[in-house]
Amino acid sequence: AQKAIIRVIPLKVEPITLEGVFANVAEVTPAEGKLLQFHPLSLCNTSEDEHTESGFITIVKLERPDRDLHPCLSLANKAKLAGERGARAILFDITDDKTAADQLRKPRGLSQPVVLIWGHDAELLMGVVNKNREAHVKIEVKEPPAWPDYDVWIL
Amino acid sequence: MHPNVSQGCQGGCATCSDYNGCLSCKPRLFFVLERIGMKQIGVCLSSCPSGYYGTRYPDINKCTKCKADCETCFTRNFCTKCKSGFYLYSGKCLENCPEGLETNNHTMECTSIVH
Repeated sequence: AQKAIIRVIPLKVEPITLEGVFANVAEVTPAEGKLLQFHPLSLCNTSEDEHTESGFITIVKLERPDRDLHPCLSLANKAKLAGERGARAILFDITDDKTAADQLRKPRGLSQPVVLIWGHDAELLMGVVNKNREAHVKIEVKEPPAWPDYDVWIL
Repeated sequence: MHPNVSQGCQGGCATCSDYNGCLSCKPRLFFVLERIGMKQIGVCLSSCPSGYYGTRYPDINKCTKCKADCETCFTRNFCTKCKSGFYLYSGKCLENCPEGLETNNHTMECTSIVH
């Protein structure tokens, strides 16, 4: 899977660089915008969904599947809806729900990139969210290491 | 904080977590999503905020927005106060009152014509 570099630039605090993975459900493409957290029970295509200005990067911290949250839509459809609501990219913290990666593996050509993040990288990102610090996020495609140009080839 | 333990939970949560606030509510309480700055958390209320009405489902009690022309309501189809520019009549918000009734610009309702 294609790796993503996530640069988080909080106001008045040192930026941090994290790593994630692009999910196949969407295009692999860079994106940037203001970070905005959404509850896992939000994005349900109901009137309660709030109307935010567009151009943001959504972050959803997923809860353990055994917490039985009765999600209203699949993760793929939530990502689609977030994009329709103005998100430029959707980040899912899957630390507590690794099954999410399987749910987002099937390509659906969503135009806004979907990036999975977990473990220490996710902890750092959610640390920014939890302090409710306004932050700008840049998502880049991590280029694979270039092959060193050896003259001799081993056949 | 272990997500299951309710230490950090607000009073009304049945389950909650550090980052998302309430995930489910205690019986009879309504689940509402609240945005505070860049964070969005779940909260559990005994009644829905103004501009919403409560709907009870088997697994969750939710607050749903009143119609676009309605400011406060009992249910989706029974408004109790209309937004500016609309007159209240039988739980509905109308731009003009039906024939035989007149507009009361004080109460913003349609009332019988007094001869």
